[in-house]
Amino acid sequence: MRGPGVIQVIALGLISAGIYALFALGVVLVYRGTKVLTFAGGEIGTAALYVTAFLVTDHGLSWGVGALIAVAVAAAAGALFEFALVRRSVDADPVVTSILTVALAATILAIELNHFGGSPKQLKPPVHGGVNVDGLIVSPVQIAAIVVAALLGFGLQAFLRRTDFGLAILAAADDPTATRLVGVRVSRVRMTLWAGSFALAAIAALLVEPTVGVISPGYASRLYLGGLAAAVIGGLDSLPGAVWGATVLGLVQAFVIRYLRVDVGGLDFDVTLVLLLVALLGRSLLPQLRRRLSPPREAVA
Amino acid sequence: MSMLELHDVTAGFGAVTVLHGVTMTVEPGEIAGVFGLNGAGKSVTLKTVAGLVPARSGQIVFDGVDVTRLDAETRVEMGLGHVPQGRQVFANLTVEENLRLGAYTLRRKQRSRYAAALDGVYDRFPVLRERRAQRAGTMSGGQQASLSVARALINEPRLVLVDEPSAGLSPKLQGDLRDILRVVKDSGVTMVLVEQNVAFGLSLVDSAHLLQTGTVVHSAPVGELDEETLATHLGIGRVLAGATGSALTARKAR
Repeated sequence: MRGPGVIQVIALGLISAGIYALFALGVVLVYRGTKVLTFAGGEIGTAALYVTAFLVTDHGLSWGVGALIAVAVAAAAGALFEFALVRRSVDADPVVTSILTVALAATILAIELNHFGGSPKQLKPPVHGGVNVDGLIVSPVQIAAIVVAALLGFGLQAFLRRTDFGLAILAAADDPTATRLVGVRVSRVRMTLWAGSFALAAIAALLVEPTVGVISPGYASRLYLGGLAAAVIGGLDSLPGAVWGATVLGLVQAFVIRYLRVDVGGLDFDVTLVLLLVALLGRSLLPQLRRRLSPPREAVA
Repeated sequence: MSMLELHDVTAGFGAVTVLHGVTMTVEPGEIAGVFGLNGAGKSVTLKTVAGLVPARSGQIVFDGVDVTRLDAETRVEMGLGHVPQGRQVFANLTVEENLRLGAYTLRRKQRSRYAAALDGVYDRFPVLRERRAQRAGTMSGGQQASLSVARALINEPRLVLVDEPSAGLSPKLQGDLRDILRVVKDSGVTMVLVEQNVAFGLSLVDSAHLLQTGTVVHSAPVGELDEETLATHLGIGRVLAGATGSALTARKAR
């Protein structure tokens, strides 16, 4: 039996890539501004889905309104997390703050398990139907994920370089004190970054959920790992890099799953880990390799 | 009215008190020098005026306004400028981006004034105009020093705090920087200069405040200073007093 064609595989890869990219942008945004690697995005995304399900499924709000409120709640949670915890450890090593995000994720997961552990929640997709791509039905939400990810990736990059607030974000990452001394409220900059990062996680989760339709605790965490990997592949401090990293990851996953012809559960997960390892090794080995391969200047002359 | 008044200011970190009641006055248009040995509290004095270290007691009055309880960013909005120690420019941003950030509060208040302010700074520091698209971190030490001064001036401050400007600069660059700061002074900006290098500081300042273990032990116009006072209060002995002495003579002759 013939499997899906190349175009379909590419489409599948790009659909994953869109989601990874949204998570990755949240990772890079905080890392770029504070040098902190955040691990909470997955659970923030899942929590946002529970909020949406609560509003839409249980209380009959429209999907759009529910999603908007959920994103706002996630942003508020990010601002609160910065204000209540990150700010108190501002002089600490970024690793300490990273561990705080792990603690936050664990706390949210525990709450989810406690309240919804037994019964998965339903959340109906906002729109039905889809576009036929070489036999694969691609839903409008999946297309939206790709478009939103690309727009945000390059839009945020322009925002950083072109606006004063964006420049303040870049400057605060390098030298917070000097940045305060030009009159920038660095604490406000950081709060905005955390709010933005958590909002991005919520958007990513909302755009992937309609594909599955059922929410369970820890739902978005595996996808978030893809986002983390994409961020690392993209160099960690580049927003466009995060989008490219996500594209590479999504496509490689799709092709490996299609052509390896091994029926192993969680193959996408393995691919993520391998790519992550390759990216990390590459980061440390490439400069050495380049030095070895490039002949000394005298020899060229 | 004085540009800056410190009344019996105490400050420190945790259980350690560094400033034990600093009192000093800076007049409009002058360069006031704060001198002292390592650990005398020069840097903390400046940080307390900046708002980076909170005053535990006492009062800081900036141009007639009590700023003791205001945060650093508000003080910048009110017209306080900074040339931080080590001439910290934002290394990964371009020259023009550095200047744009320097004008952060000016642009928020009155964006229309920015273009003229940028031109003014470029006229004063032509090398920055040439290199406006260059990443600041790739410029020479002297150019970075110009940029850090320009970044403070573009916001049109009334008082600029200059922290250890000579530190880590070669004698030639120290000379260049001295010329830059003199130009700034001539444009009517008041400055407070903290310096470890007393000879360098004395070549610039109009008045000197000698700091010892967290209190000002002597304040005088530079014309009324003598080697003996410096040697007594700074305890720097004959060798260093020799160098400062010649600087003092040169300064008085100017």
